[in-house]
Amino acid sequence: MQQGVIMRLIKYQNHNGLPATHLGGRLGGLEIDNELNWLFGTALRGLAGASAGGQFPVDLYEDKDNTYVRAELPGVARDAISVEMIEGSLSLQASRKDKVGEGSVSFSRLVSIPDEVDSEKVTAVYENGILTVTLPRREASKPKKINVSVN
Amino acid sequence: MTFFNSLIPSSACQDPASGTATLATRRPAFEVAESEGSYDLTISLPGVAKDGIEITDLGGELRVSGKRAVTAPAGAVALHRESSDSSFELVLEHDSTIDPSKIEAELKDGLLHLKLAKAESAKPRKIAVG
Repeated sequence: MQQGVIMRLIKYQNHNGLPATHLGGRLGGLEIDNELNWLFGTALRGLAGASAGGQFPVDLYEDKDNTYVRAELPGVARDAISVEMIEGSLSLQASRKDKVGEGSVSFSRLVSIPDEVDSEKVTAVYENGILTVTLPRREASKPKKINVSVN
Repeated sequence: MTFFNSLIPSSACQDPASGTATLATRRPAFEVAESEGSYDLTISLPGVAKDGIEITDLGGELRVSGKRAVTAPAGAVALHRESSDSSFELVLEHDSTIDPSKIEAELKDGLLHLKLAKAESAKPRKIAVG
């Protein structure tokens, strides 16, 4: 976290290369505003994501048939999202083009998922900046009712 | 003043409509870029639908507020949460340096782009020397 703070502050100075007064108006001052909010923890994270860590928020849900992994990835092109199953884990990777330069920012998360997931039937949908991965449970692992006949 | 305002999180803001404190309102992440004729504001609003956003401009204050449309998959139980379902609000002062009638807004993939055209009075004026 400490490193992130330093990196963002340096980035701000490099971007403008000009004293803040040159930007003019109050809107011009917003960028440093944002930096301060970030420092004070009132802004959740910069638009570039926590570029130092490259992480993004992930939610996990479950119902009787599926496990759902939901990730917040605003402003990412669909073809820049990769969803993979790797040995019992779900790997989510995404990259977003940096508006300022030609570079891009990469994000990735590895989420441990239950063993009983049928990896052949995993589906993913991206909507409103949110990626939802649906991981269906294997038939065999679903609870089965067994009738025991007592003589 | 913006500097000092920014130190107070917007969660402490009062909702003028109801007069009650709006609890757990978060301030979304945003970026501002300046070009010659406008300020380009980008706000991160994942999970927010078009009709869930309200943009108002009053007395030199631009206010973007609303709530998320995305909810948990029907019937599912949350095992782990990192995102927040709280409503959001971003208030930016601009001292009427932008023209409210020329605000353009576009929502795409969870990012709200606002093009804030500068007011004529805020644009640089060249004065000819006679």
